[in-house]
Amino acid sequence: MKYKSLIFISTFFISVGFSNAQEVDSLMNQMSPKKDEGKVIATFKSSRLILSQTTTMVKKNNLDFKVVHRFGDIGGDNGGSKTLFGLDNSSDIYIDFDYGISDRLNIGFGRSKYSQLLDLQLKYALLQQSEDNKMPLSVSLLAKTGFEPQKVVQGYYANYGERFSYLGQAIISRKFSKSFSLQLSPTVLQRGKVLSANDEETLFALGAAARYKFTKRFGIVADYYLIKSDFRKNNPTTNYYSPLGLGFEIETGGHVFTLNFVNAEAIVENNFLPNSTSSFTKGQYRFGFTISRMFSFNKEQPIVKQH
Amino acid sequence: MTKIASILFLSLFLFAFQEKQNIFLSNAIETGIYSEAPLENIAAISKKGISVYNIEKGEIQFNIPIKSLKFKKSLMEEHFNENYMESDKYPFAKFKGKVNQAIDLSKNGEYPVTVSGDLDVHGVKKQRTINGTIKVNNGSISVFSKFDVLCKDHDIKIPQLVFQKIAETIQVTISGNYNPYKSSK
Repeated sequence: MKYKSLIFISTFFISVGFSNAQEVDSLMNQMSPKKDEGKVIATFKSSRLILSQTTTMVKKNNLDFKVVHRFGDIGGDNGGSKTLFGLDNSSDIYIDFDYGISDRLNIGFGRSKYSQLLDLQLKYALLQQSEDNKMPLSVSLLAKTGFEPQKVVQGYYANYGERFSYLGQAIISRKFSKSFSLQLSPTVLQRGKVLSANDEETLFALGAAARYKFTKRFGIVADYYLIKSDFRKNNPTTNYYSPLGLGFEIETGGHVFTLNFVNAEAIVENNFLPNSTSSFTKGQYRFGFTISRMFSFNKEQPIVKQH
Repeated sequence: MTKIASILFLSLFLFAFQEKQNIFLSNAIETGIYSEAPLENIAAISKKGISVYNIEKGEIQFNIPIKSLKFKKSLMEEHFNENYMESDKYPFAKFKGKVNQAIDLSKNGEYPVTVSGDLDVHGVKKQRTINGTIKVNNGSISVFSKFDVLCKDHDIKIPQLVFQKIAETIQVTISGNYNPYKSSK
């Protein structure tokens, strides 16, 4: 009996002593938030790659100002040394403003040189990939309205409604590793004005884009759209090609630069999805770039004060 | 015999209970980082740090989630996490050490202290002795400390291709109120 209680007491004493020594550590563990609760950040450096928009959002109270440029054909009939490999021409210039209403809702406004398109868009981050992989994907929904204010010959637009086009897109991305991100974008485009009677008013397309980072600030990007259209597939008069862009991405703190080569002449989906008639193999690809500059309208952070 | 055992048992409980009175917790440690740079200053604040302090043994630990540091510029915040701190890999900045001076809980006042231990930032541990103040006010305590962290000490690389130069030294400020730990919680 005596022996038993001694053992009991000493075990108890040891266990109390042990738990005290462990106390600070175990309390820290209890209080620490789990690492995995976080959302995956920086799937892409910018809300735009070459052709595609990405699931990356402009954060609340931030304004992303972009200038996107596409030069003329590098080779082919309109390229070569006489146009300094297309640098004398610009097939499209796009000025874009994207503002973060919240971290998950962005509004964007832009203007293209190509068919003088004005566009207004909303993008909503429906799902965000989490670090614990409970949510393996990010999904953003995009709705865009394009309007062509250009002055054209009488009768080109049968009515005012033909000047409008509507784009809907689900952008699905995954950051597989620190350096590799991939995204797919099922897309539907509804146009008021089509090219001929056989041309589909409603076009379906699938975008695929990837980014691979070699260093923290330098990576390569590839961007491609597959367009489902019988009119484009076997057109006797005009050849249509799938838009493809390849490029570099360089981040320098406040700016993101994308330097690319792309066959599509136009920059905005509403333009390049139906109208890409340039072929890489015929030298009809062009140099292009995107400059993105982020402006922040957040309040200054207060300084930590002594309690 | 059973009487003695139960008395011992009880006193041990009391002992254990008293021990816990010496443990203080905070889950709202404020952490500020500040660095002057030619183009724009780098400043961020987090209010989500946690800390446990065992007054009797002098043991103190801090844990600051890197992603909880909020910047004025969201892009700077993202670059800070993605390029410098690599917070996916190293989600916390940690400190684990001992307060070198004794604190008398029953006496109100400000105690200047030094704390020695390991500062773990960006997954690289560095032995440090840091100055700070512990304030006792009617049984509750608060801490304050201001110290420098050198990027090179913690293997935080500053790339050449950055238009805005980033300072090599970051000033860190830590401040927070502690509550006594209640085991019944």
